[in-house]
This record gives sequence, structure tokens and C-alpha cells, in this order.
Amino acid sequence: MLLFRSEAHVDTWLAGRPPGATIPITKLAKLAQAWWSDRLAPDWQPRTLAQNQAILDGLGLLGPFWRLA
Amino acid sequence: MDPADVRLRNATYAQFVELGRAPAAAEMAAETGLTEAEVRSGWHRLHDAHALVLDAEGEIRMANPFAARPTSFQVEAAGRSWFANCAWDALGIGAALHVDSHFRTECPDCHEPLDIDVRAGLPDRTDLVFHVLVPAVEWWKDIGFT
Repeated sequence: MLLFRSEAHVDTWLAGRPPGATIPITKLAKLAQAWWSDRLAPDWQPRTLAQNQAILDGLGLLGPFWRLA
Repeated sequence: MDPADVRLRNATYAQFVELGRAPAAAEMAAETGLTEAEVRSGWHRLHDAHALVLDAEGEIRMANPFAARPTSFQVEAAGRSWFANCAWDALGIGAALHVDSHFRTECPDCHEPLDIDVRAGLPDRTDLVFHVLVPAVEWWKDIGFT
């Protein structure tokens, strides 16, 4: 889960390994807000797998790669 | 998750932020009134539930998005320096604290330093990309590698 200067840098870094998924940092920022903003709430409760999946789905992170189970 | 474990988890996170580092089991025992053994057994259940991550010695390694040890993601937020476990977590520390933040890492390919300001949840660098090598279903198989 790393940050690169561009997709070209991802490709060079992979050096022929199969790629995972690449998204813009702007989408990552939205994901971080949705995923982490409740973590320090005094009444925090664990999310269900379905709730976590809904966060990914809601940001358009669809397809087998983004399936949590 | 057992309500008592949720309370321990929430107290552990609160102490992490209060101290600016991962709390020790003895510190959490003093904080919660549990015995150190009860803290450690609770932490293990939370680890198994993916609510925090312990190292091989049973100490806190990650209270995501916070990292207990130095990493290549250094975050400045709420007047403190933190380490994050990955780029997702680096953006997550400001989100969790509900403050603006700054973080530094480097491009893993060319090693150019990357400095990112995050204001109101938005990064000032919009040209960067995030790569996830491991499919979501495998993230917790080896969370350290992920």
C-alpha cells in the first residue's frame, strides 16, 4: 500500500510482477476519510464486513480485487 | 466482539493518542483497572478480530492507522509526529484525529521524497497514485506485508 509519483513509476517498480490495483491519491483520501474517521470515537464499535465492503463499493472500488471475502 | 474487549480497544486507542505512542500492557492495566494478564488476553482477542495488531512478543505493533514503530510514512498531526503503516493509514491519521496533517514518504521506485499536505481531508498533491499489491481478501493474511 504505497504511494508513487505516477503509474509509470508503479510499472517500473513492479519489474514484471503482476500488478495489484492503482488508484489516484484523491480517491485514496476519500477512502481514508470513510475508513478511519470513526477510529477514535469514544463509542467506537467494530464495523461488519458488509459495512466495510459498502465503503469500498461506494467509492467505485469494485470487482474481485476489492472483495473483502 | 465482546463489549469488554471493545472497551479495552477504545481505551488502548485513547492512550495511544494521549501518549503519542503505543501503551504498554502495564499502562493499560493501570488505566482500566484490569490486570496486566487480562489486558494481554484482551489484546490477543482484539488481534484475532483484526481490531489491532500485536507483534511476536505480544506488544502493540499497529493500532491502525497508527504504527507503533518507525515506518517510511511519517505524519505530522495534532502537534505530534506519528508513524503510519502505509499510505492509506498516512491519510487516515488526520482523518482519525479530525485535523489537517502533513506526511512524508518516498516513491518506492525512484526514492524521490514525497511531501503531502492534507487540508480538510484533501491532499495538495493530486498527481500521485496509490498501489495495492495484495487483493482485499488477502489483506489480513500478512498485514505487515500488505
